[in-house]
Amino acid sequence: MKNILLKGSPLRILDGTSRKSLGLGRMGVLIARAGVGKTACLIHIALHNLMENRKVVHVSIGEGPEKIQAYYQVLLNELMSACKMKEDDDSRQLVEQNRVILAYVNKSFELGRLRAQLENLKEALDFSPDAILVDGFDFASAEPGFFKDFSELAGLLGAEIWFSALSHRHISEVNERGVPYPCHNIDDMFSVILHLLPEAGGLYLRLLKDHENETFTERRVRLDPSTFMIKDGL
Amino acid sequence: MSEVIKTKRNIGISAHIDSGKTTLTERILFYTKRIHAMHEVRGRDGVGATMDSMDLERERGITISSAATHCQWDGHEINVIDTPGHVDFTIEVERALRVMDGAVLILCAVAGVQSQSITVDRQMNRYKVPRIAFINKCDRSGADPFKVSGQLGSKLNHNPVLMQIPIGSESNMKGVVDLVSMKALYFEGPSREALVSKEIPAELVEIAAAKREELIDAASMFSDDLMEAAFEDNVTEELLIDAVRRGTISRQLTPVFMGSAYKNIGVQCVLDGVVRYLPSPAEVKNVAFDLATDEKEVVLEPEPDRPLVALAFKLEVTPYGQLTYLRIYQGRIRKGDEMFISRSGKKIKVGRLVRMHADEMEEIDQAEPGGIVALFGVDCHSGDTFTDGSVNYSMSSMFVPEPVISLSVTPEDAKSQNNMAKALNRFTKEDPTFKSYVDPESGDTIISGMGELHLDVYLERMKREFKAVVMTGMPQVAYREAITAKASFDYTHKKQTGGSGQFGRVAGFIEPLDEGGYEFINEVKGGSIPTEFIPAVDKGFRSCLDKGGLVGYPVIGVRVTVNDGKAHSVDSSEMAFSQAGAGAFRSVYMKAAPVLLEPIMKVAVESPTEFQGNVMGSITQRRGMITSTMEDGLFTTVEAEVPLAEMFGYATHLRSLTQGKAEFTMEFSRYAKVPESLAEELKTRLREKAKGERK
Repeated sequence: MKNILLKGSPLRILDGTSRKSLGLGRMGVLIARAGVGKTACLIHIALHNLMENRKVVHVSIGEGPEKIQAYYQVLLNELMSACKMKEDDDSRQLVEQNRVILAYVNKSFELGRLRAQLENLKEALDFSPDAILVDGFDFASAEPGFFKDFSELAGLLGAEIWFSALSHRHISEVNERGVPYPCHNIDDMFSVILHLLPEAGGLYLRLLKDHENETFTERRVRLDPSTFMIKDGL
Repeated sequence: MSEVIKTKRNIGISAHIDSGKTTLTERILFYTKRIHAMHEVRGRDGVGATMDSMDLERERGITISSAATHCQWDGHEINVIDTPGHVDFTIEVERALRVMDGAVLILCAVAGVQSQSITVDRQMNRYKVPRIAFINKCDRSGADPFKVSGQLGSKLNHNPVLMQIPIGSESNMKGVVDLVSMKALYFEGPSREALVSKEIPAELVEIAAAKREELIDAASMFSDDLMEAAFEDNVTEELLIDAVRRGTISRQLTPVFMGSAYKNIGVQCVLDGVVRYLPSPAEVKNVAFDLATDEKEVVLEPEPDRPLVALAFKLEVTPYGQLTYLRIYQGRIRKGDEMFISRSGKKIKVGRLVRMHADEMEEIDQAEPGGIVALFGVDCHSGDTFTDGSVNYSMSSMFVPEPVISLSVTPEDAKSQNNMAKALNRFTKEDPTFKSYVDPESGDTIISGMGELHLDVYLERMKREFKAVVMTGMPQVAYREAITAKASFDYTHKKQTGGSGQFGRVAGFIEPLDEGGYEFINEVKGGSIPTEFIPAVDKGFRSCLDKGGLVGYPVIGVRVTVNDGKAHSVDSSEMAFSQAGAGAFRSVYMKAAPVLLEPIMKVAVESPTEFQGNVMGSITQRRGMITSTMEDGLFTTVEAEVPLAEMFGYATHLRSLTQGKAEFTMEFSRYAKVPESLAEELKTRLREKAKGERK
């Protein structure tokens, strides 16, 4: 399953970018409307990292860990059935041993708390993540300087950080570089920007920013809506 | 909806140990005229408080077993359950909360929000219990009710709203200013039973007005009428009470009362608060599961004419027999009625129906929805649902935390053995968190419970009430064995010792079975083993599973496939093929690379966030793997998988690491291979132990 997952991972949209990946110490964002599959896509990014034996912290804001664990389970099951496999203990073990879910409910999320938790993980478990996924953060209410501080943390940890950002059907603001709300005013904070959107032909993942490469041409791949694996476009 | 039910209140009284729960309950009973004299918890009169009915409780000054009682106040019937404060007895708190519609959370005016207050509060959240707060011990030096009210917000995430402010402070506390009526209330008379209402002292007028504004602001969030009245400066008592009541019932507001139960100040106001702000049974949604329709949820209607649904929430053994406390959710119970226990279908007849008052009782003829009654001589378990037989409902089971500590107990003599058995039988029926079983491997009787004090109390009760003297030891971890490779067998059982012989040959292979358990597959073709002997072969393999060849622990996760064999027309028999199966298993087992498995527990530790690092460290030290953490306000829950063998003594260790502010739950998750680095040493130790036991 590992090979199949890596081959069809939505993260492979970065294959053709200037750095071929997000890169350690850098931040990326995945923008989508509610219900399109931000969390699933983010989990795919996590699985991609996990299958490459990298350590992952999944930060869930607003949802408890059970729901996130169940989400991973569902996606793994979907992938296994797509691979016509009954069970893949090795993959499951790889996921369970190299992933820690940090959930924040009832408005408990603060960067300081996350930083303290990451320090605890390092000290108590010797667990330093290579990738951190932040799901459910409310971009609209972000304090000024939040992403700058986060970017410093990414650099300090040497980890790549992926956010999910919620866009709205009724807010159509897009900046001159084609980056939509809610990232249109802060696109300089992110090295990679992805946009997940359902269109007539299916579910598409678009690359809107490729690091410092200003001359890149927009890439898009079509995803399988049940497994979130790349169907075509690579 | 019956008017009677609207005047009922079922409340629990919960708090940190020594916050004055029992004292407050005693005063409530006195002012509602249920008792005619007040006794102190550790009183000089030697009588002890009324609710502390067990000797041990009176001696230790803590309430071990919750006792239910009822009283009348202002035309309302109030059922009170006094609950214990120590963390080891939380099942008592949980039970009370399960059947109560509201609660009074007592806080100490000096110590403020303490660790157990936090635990109890979380339990109340779990059961969605609306509460009012009573800040007790306001007469003590260092008392600061305003600070404590603030802590309700900062430490417990409540939305506290002062209903009163104190008149005088510490030992000079004389009464309270009621912010609803804007009157000063004094408690006069020999037992301060007379409530005297006067004008607010001049020096408090300003602060009272300011606090009333805060009260109106907070309450108006729950009533448009109050908000409108506040704009027009026309707030009436009724409007304010109604809004606070709405906020309280929706658990978005916590009215705060204050006083000193010991000095008899403010108790009547708490009773008023219970009646005014806590819900009646009719205002609380209760659901049951319909066993006849695949456990579909059914909302119960608190109507006396509906089919009966009642829950046994506490069992107590009295000198007159077993007493079962019931909460009626729907329908009525009358003396002489027949009822059915949903779990067992057993029919029982209602003999004596009583209403309890600590350890005294009052006989009644019938009880209706919302009522809390007790029955005599009913053989049932705590948590059983009773119906009239016309419905097959079961109340959602009570949340029972898994035991966290176990001990082996050995009676010192034959007499103690008998008595111990009687005691264990009684304790396990009374308390679902206390468990006992005989370890089939060591033969030891193991008891398990919620903490060391929990087990201590039962050991002491065994000694005192049952005259059972026991020695305690360490329990064993339930290790298992499993094979990790496929291996073939071809085994012939042949015996000729005069008379008819025994002959049976079996061939095939064994392999690991991921799902655990045991599976037998018959692939014998052409009748090489006659069909009638196949079950005997299966039985032979099965008989070996109880004791694996590695260390001697039960074997799990084996699939046996038999594909060939041979029988003899005279010497083959069921016995011979059973022996052949057993022999085949023994011969092949070590070839299938067996390993030792240990139970892995899913552990969740809930603690204030400041202790998160300590908690994580404590889990890692115990070979644990942290799977997630969840931050919720000031608390963090760390979830991990930890081998059971490493969890002994964890409760004590965790307490010392977190100043007693953390609690943990543990449940079985799965069996996992013991790491290579530990397996050899463990195997040697276990083999030696097994040898010792055989000797």
